[in-house]
Amino acid sequence: MKNSALIILILLVSVFAKAQNASYQKTMDDLVKQISETDRQSSLQPIINKMERVAAAEKNEWLPKYWVAYCYGIEQFTKSDAAEKDLILDKADKYLGDAENLSVDNDEIMVLKAQLASARLAVDPMSRWQTYGASFSDNLKKATKLNSNNPRIYYLQGTNLFYTPENFGGGKAAAKPLFEQALDKFNNFEAKSSIYPNWGKVESQYFLSQCQ
Amino acid sequence: MKKLFTFITFLFSINGFSQVIISGKVTDKKGEPLPFANIQIEGTYDGASADENGNFSFETDASGEKFITASMIGFKNFKKALSISSGKLKLDIILEESINSLNAVVVTAGMFEASDEKKMVMLKPMDIVTTAGGGADIVSVMQFLPGANRVGESEGLFVRGGSANETKTVIDGMIVQNPFFSSTPDVPQRGRFNPFMFKGTAFSTGGYSALYGQALSSVLLLNTMDKQGDNSNLSINANMAGLGASYTHKGWITGTLNYSNLSPFFSLVKTNIDFEKVPQGMGGSLTINQNLSKTSSIKAYTTYSTNQSALNLPTYEADNSTYIFENNNQNIFTNTSLKNTYGDGKWVWLNGFSYSKNKDYLNIGVAVANRGDERTQFRSVASRLFGEENSSSFSFGAEYHNIKQDNIYNEYFLSLKDNYTAIFAESEFYLSPKLAGRLGVRAENSSVISRSNIAPRFSLAYKAGKYAQFSLASGRFYQNPEKEYLYLDKNLNFEIADHLILNYQIIKNLRTFRIESFYKKYNSLIAEQTVQYDPNPYRFPTGSLSNTGKGFARGFDVFFRDQKSIPNGDFWFTYSFLDTKRMFKNYKEMVTPYFASKHNLSLVYKQFFTPISTNIGVTFSHTSGRPIYVYGDNFKNTPYTKAFENLSLMASHVKMIKNQFVVFYATLDNVLGRKNIYGYRYSNDGKERFEVRPPMYRTFFFGINWAIGELNGRSKEADLDF
Repeated sequence: MKNSALIILILLVSVFAKAQNASYQKTMDDLVKQISETDRQSSLQPIINKMERVAAAEKNEWLPKYWVAYCYGIEQFTKSDAAEKDLILDKADKYLGDAENLSVDNDEIMVLKAQLASARLAVDPMSRWQTYGASFSDNLKKATKLNSNNPRIYYLQGTNLFYTPENFGGGKAAAKPLFEQALDKFNNFEAKSSIYPNWGKVESQYFLSQCQ
Repeated sequence: MKKLFTFITFLFSINGFSQVIISGKVTDKKGEPLPFANIQIEGTYDGASADENGNFSFETDASGEKFITASMIGFKNFKKALSISSGKLKLDIILEESINSLNAVVVTAGMFEASDEKKMVMLKPMDIVTTAGGGADIVSVMQFLPGANRVGESEGLFVRGGSANETKTVIDGMIVQNPFFSSTPDVPQRGRFNPFMFKGTAFSTGGYSALYGQALSSVLLLNTMDKQGDNSNLSINANMAGLGASYTHKGWITGTLNYSNLSPFFSLVKTNIDFEKVPQGMGGSLTINQNLSKTSSIKAYTTYSTNQSALNLPTYEADNSTYIFENNNQNIFTNTSLKNTYGDGKWVWLNGFSYSKNKDYLNIGVAVANRGDERTQFRSVASRLFGEENSSSFSFGAEYHNIKQDNIYNEYFLSLKDNYTAIFAESEFYLSPKLAGRLGVRAENSSVISRSNIAPRFSLAYKAGKYAQFSLASGRFYQNPEKEYLYLDKNLNFEIADHLILNYQIIKNLRTFRIESFYKKYNSLIAEQTVQYDPNPYRFPTGSLSNTGKGFARGFDVFFRDQKSIPNGDFWFTYSFLDTKRMFKNYKEMVTPYFASKHNLSLVYKQFFTPISTNIGVTFSHTSGRPIYVYGDNFKNTPYTKAFENLSLMASHVKMIKNQFVVFYATLDNVLGRKNIYGYRYSNDGKERFEVRPPMYRTFFFGINWAIGELNGRSKEADLDF
């Protein structure tokens, strides 16, 4: 009797856990879709809030934290004041740091770190290239070491060159092969699931079209 | 068994019985709604974002004792226990502002900070090398900041009526014994350090922290770079005055070598100085910068240099005769610091060691004279961070210096040894995001004069609006008498200055406006008993000495900088007003010291032209006349020199080819060719006087810097390294 009760309990708990898991998957799935569908003019904050709630409830999952950091990296573009941008990026850094604690040696996290470094750089390039320029290239290097097939590495390198003047070794011509390489990698890239990072393809296509 | 079923029932009860609607409004303390605040039932996905009126409403399946949380950027997290049963729940939430870079007040009185970490940034390494008229020299550019008084014929920072001696240069907490190349009469020298060594500079014009001492007026705090990436690269530079190379290996070790020789420069530029031997020198440095672990890092810097020069200086006698002043200098400086953090960064422990030795082998006319300085110092500072966001801190520490100085002049041998110890404690704390204070105390002992002192320091800052703040700083500052006095008399006491500074600043979107007024009172300055006043600043003191000198300095300064209005442009304006009088040295009356000028004004403008990747800079500076005191002066009816004025231009052009990065730069100083005069020197009988002129009137300078290797994702702003 005792044994069967235990079995029932285990069964029930596992069903319950599954249900919980399914709800995580579904919620994340919806949110990740919404992120890619939101146009860049409107605020991502409502979606970020939902994602933050998932991140708070699912303490051991790195993905919600990753996506919060990603969204804040985009959200800061809606602000014009340097201090406000920094405050948002502080929050992004914090979430990404928490994600890294849950998932070490993760190339996607390194790529996003580089992305956030370039956002910091853009706030005040004149005085920040020395710190954040180094952090940008460092993190991309680490990402390449972990997974050189991550297409976002090449996409970020491409955008960096795209916005660098020709006299400084940048320009459209220099950026073009990197976007091509990124797209090539995207064609062979499959995200582990729909809630894993899969951004950058549309962006690469757009930038490539601008390089013609 | 029963228990088990209850538990199972409980599990189901979580998963969907009654739905409860929770609604309310989120506001700040003043009742302003907070749109987009995030509300959540802890441990569930249930929650909502506040709408534009701060209202929220959501359904939840949760029941029982739960926590409700609310969060928003710039505000403290809110958490409250909530008993959820059925029906509707109404809850209004008030969020409290957190201390952050947007709203936090910063102690700014007397301080010009510039680093990446601080948001109230004023002047960074890149600003230093792109400022026309600054010659990529840290201190020269600082002279365009409020509070500094330009004194053309000598190096150093003269701050608010203080002499250059009253400013100390501090690298990573350690006092730099010889921040400038060795002094030569009436020829100003450059600083020894490259601006790019430092991630941040903070220039204090008074009221500075208890962590530093031995400076009556000002400290220039330079903090060296942390490790930046792990790239290797080589950089070569050549200009009209020398050659240099620098190699960085995997980001952690850098070696530099340089050779300087001003011959090419003086073959093209007319100089007012009669060089017997054109200044030349060699040097090298080694820098190690490594993160030993996540919580520990080391920085070690060692440099050695040797320089020679010889010039014919006028004797200032009627026959226009000259004498030779030859200097062979050797300088060693090392600085090592170790930083450890403990307890999630709540404790920071900094340890430093520094050794420096400087030797000047001089031939002055027929006399042989040597000057020597040696300083060994240890410093240890522990800081405990506390409060919200670790915004407050308590620091305490100690330093010890062993100083040896000597001077040989023919048969005279003068020397001193000093064991200087200091202990200090300071706390920076927030009473609210709007109100911050800093309270510190420093105690010092100097063995050479067998004296001790205790110096309190106090600062307060209040945020008056979103972008504006007031700040106040005051304190007492002690300094040992100058070595020339200590050689003769070791029974002297510390010199004293008391500061009071009031500051208002408004920083909004890359525009800064700052106004500061100050009052400084000097006491116990060294005074000499002499028969007659001798205006020669290089004279060796004679006569009996005492701490009976005194003085004051008061005034205000205004600073405005705009990096916003003109795209890719940067403009700043500085005006300083100074009213100061002293009785010290061999002065017979309370008068304005010879180095002080009433008005200092500068205008700096820089423009980057992206299509041609060229930066153009223009600087104009004006310094009103300084008092002229003559031999045997009675200090009545003092004449003034004519105002000093300078207009300089600079341009730099950048080119990048694959992994090579080339910067061309050129400067034109004193474009208008104005014949500035810094004062007069007198013949021994005081009857003849001669102008002190700048080394050159109109000058130009150009050079190139070539970097090869992996560069750190550099953007359009180049690596200008003179």
